[in-house]
Amino acid sequence: WRLWRCRCRALLSRPAGRLWARRGLAAGPEMHFGFQTVTEEERREKIYQVFESVAKKYDVMNDSMTLGIHRVWKDILMHKMNPSPGTLLLDVAGGTGDIAFRFINYVRSARERQLQRKLKHHQNLSWQEIFESYQKDKFNSLGDSQVVVCDINREMLKVGKQKAQHLGYSEGLSWVLGNAEELPFDSDKFDVYTIAFGIRNVTRVDLALQEAYRVLKPGGRFLCLEFSHVSNPLLSRLYDLYSFQVIPVLGEVIAGDWKSYQYLVESIRRFPPQEDLKAMIEDAGFFKVDYENLNFGIVAIHSGFKL
Amino acid sequence: GLAHGRHCHRQRENGSGSGSGSGSGSGSARPQPPEPSLLRFLVCPLSKRPLRYEEATNELINEELGIAYPIIDGIPNMVPEAARMTHKKPPAEGSEQP
Repeated sequence: WRLWRCRCRALLSRPAGRLWARRGLAAGPEMHFGFQTVTEEERREKIYQVFESVAKKYDVMNDSMTLGIHRVWKDILMHKMNPSPGTLLLDVAGGTGDIAFRFINYVRSARERQLQRKLKHHQNLSWQEIFESYQKDKFNSLGDSQVVVCDINREMLKVGKQKAQHLGYSEGLSWVLGNAEELPFDSDKFDVYTIAFGIRNVTRVDLALQEAYRVLKPGGRFLCLEFSHVSNPLLSRLYDLYSFQVIPVLGEVIAGDWKSYQYLVESIRRFPPQEDLKAMIEDAGFFKVDYENLNFGIVAIHSGFKL
Repeated sequence: GLAHGRHCHRQRENGSGSGSGSGSGSGSARPQPPEPSLLRFLVCPLSKRPLRYEEATNELINEELGIAYPIIDGIPNMVPEAARMTHKKPPAEGSEQP
């Protein structure tokens, strides 16, 4: 904490008076943590602890809570993105790597199809091309695609990195511990920015959206996959029942952690609905902002472009 | 010994050329430099200015602000809370170099 204060004093000479307010070093405004009311700083800490606690069981819990459907949602996100080889993706709050691995698989197949099409048109290869085809590296199986996974939680990144090693992902993948509200990346760098089931846990969503805008190249796409609001009243009732009665119990049984999953369910209810999030994304400067409901609004994919 | 064997194993698993530490063989804090491709986009989260990779302490240094971000287990910790002021001595765990 002393380091923080030293740094802030050093930086106060810059026109960054708002740095104090942003850092919430004072008591700070009240915010929600699920259904509780906490200060900004408390909220960050509590959320960090939630994910530190669930990290190892994160994937198992996702499968149990959503009956495996979260995989389909993530696949749909990837199809919507439809990345071509050479795409540079920043996956924020990407902890355990689900989106990153899907991205790598997707561009790898796209690259294979690309190469096959090339070969079809080049029935008579030159000696140079034949020579090159014997060098696996030259073929560049990902076509220079790259994904950077950024997460604020060390435990989630650890799980992600272990998964990557276990599943054999190494090329085109890197891991960074960083804050979505204050990204350690240069401006105008990425083709796509994704945040899947993460934006709900960000304390200052407006800052995260501004940072997303900043790091994207002109023409870049913002994609957000997140739990959203169900408008159908009957479905909404069933969804509530499932959420509040079943999920925390699953959390206790599978992960030994009722409270974290109680937070999860409450945080979904507190998060702005589709139209509100759309407005926030537009406020950050994105154009052609739109959303697609999945499963009647249980989940929504928001998309926007930096033009 | 056994520890050295474990390091070798980890090195093999590291894939794309990022596992070239000094092989000090002491505990789990073996320095892993960051992916070279990452250094193209990584900047200081506070000032958004470029960083310099310091191999000796395995840190990313912002000379202007005088702060250094540690790289732990090959993952750069790019949050201000993790940074240290460069006029202070580096932490003990970073100096296990032969």
